[in-house]
Amino acid sequence: MPTSNQTRKYLSVLARHPAFLGALIGILAAFSQALLISAGGPEAYGFCVACHTRDLVNGMTNLIADTTLSLAAISKNAILPVMSVTGVLIGAYLAARVNGEHKIRRSDPKTHVIYFLCGILVLNLAMIFGGCPYRAALRTGYGDITALLFIATMAIGVVLGTLVLLKREENKEDN
Amino acid sequence: MATGILPMEIAVYAVPVVTLILGLLIGYLAQRSGYCSIGGFRDFALFRHTRLLSGYLTLILASFAGYLLFWFLVPSSMEHFFWAFTSDLFVPIPGAPAGLSPAAYLLFSAVPGFLIGLIAVLLGGCPIRLTVMASEGSLKAAWFFIGMCVGSILFAALVSGWVVALMKTLGFGA
Repeated sequence: MPTSNQTRKYLSVLARHPAFLGALIGILAAFSQALLISAGGPEAYGFCVACHTRDLVNGMTNLIADTTLSLAAISKNAILPVMSVTGVLIGAYLAARVNGEHKIRRSDPKTHVIYFLCGILVLNLAMIFGGCPYRAALRTGYGDITALLFIATMAIGVVLGTLVLLKREENKEDN
Repeated sequence: MATGILPMEIAVYAVPVVTLILGLLIGYLAQRSGYCSIGGFRDFALFRHTRLLSGYLTLILASFAGYLLFWFLVPSSMEHFFWAFTSDLFVPIPGAPAGLSPAAYLLFSAVPGFLIGLIAVLLGGCPIRLTVMASEGSLKAAWFFIGMCVGSILFAALVSGWVVALMKTLGFGA
């Protein structure tokens, strides 16, 4: 019999493995659809960083400023929009704080501007597809072929990006 | 209209609460594991590391298993499972701007997929990784998140209309 200390060690290793979180998100996304779909669609919408950010921002703007920005039916019908991104922000903050990994890291102003503009661009691209890489995975699991196409071209994009990164490193070493 | 475990009157109150709890759990574990979809493909391409990639591939398999399970348990909540068998093969699950031809949605998958992969790997992470990094105190990641918030309003107010108009001019109308 493993001692309770060993069990705890195994559990903490398991909790820190990405595959465990992947399995958890998949099952929980299906569970949340089974639980909440009466409030409205779309399907395969259990977890998505881009769409849920859109729902949160547009939903709260609609409530506060009385606008009619578009958002998913589930967030429109519910008393408040989906809050998963708020949860991710708080959960990750707590995890970083508890484990002493929270540290303010500044970059130069130019980098901040680039990241801000890329945030706008990535969100818009994700909305044109109708999801971020996570909803693409959920949609693939739900049986959507177009989402599989998204994942395939994303992999090609990433490989091309890594080539750019490698090239950049080489140039740095030459200088 | 699909019906889930909770009736509509209760579900409308449960939506923010359930998704908040889900998000807290995912955010906590994502910080501990360094979870990243883009990073998985990147680490595999660069070093043949499979740790992060296993997280993303497990997500695809687990979501299929989860949807299959709840399709058995609560069939009314999984109206169109398995999507490829219940609708036309290349029609996507709703979410993208509506009212265009199937060819348009293939473009809407292929082009944003490629560009998001390219941009995200240069930024150093997918949207969830950058959101978690913002919570860890990275200011550039925080600016990325603010950009996503601004982008939400821009897309709803302007860009979605432009994209649909452009696609219709190009002959991709439904």
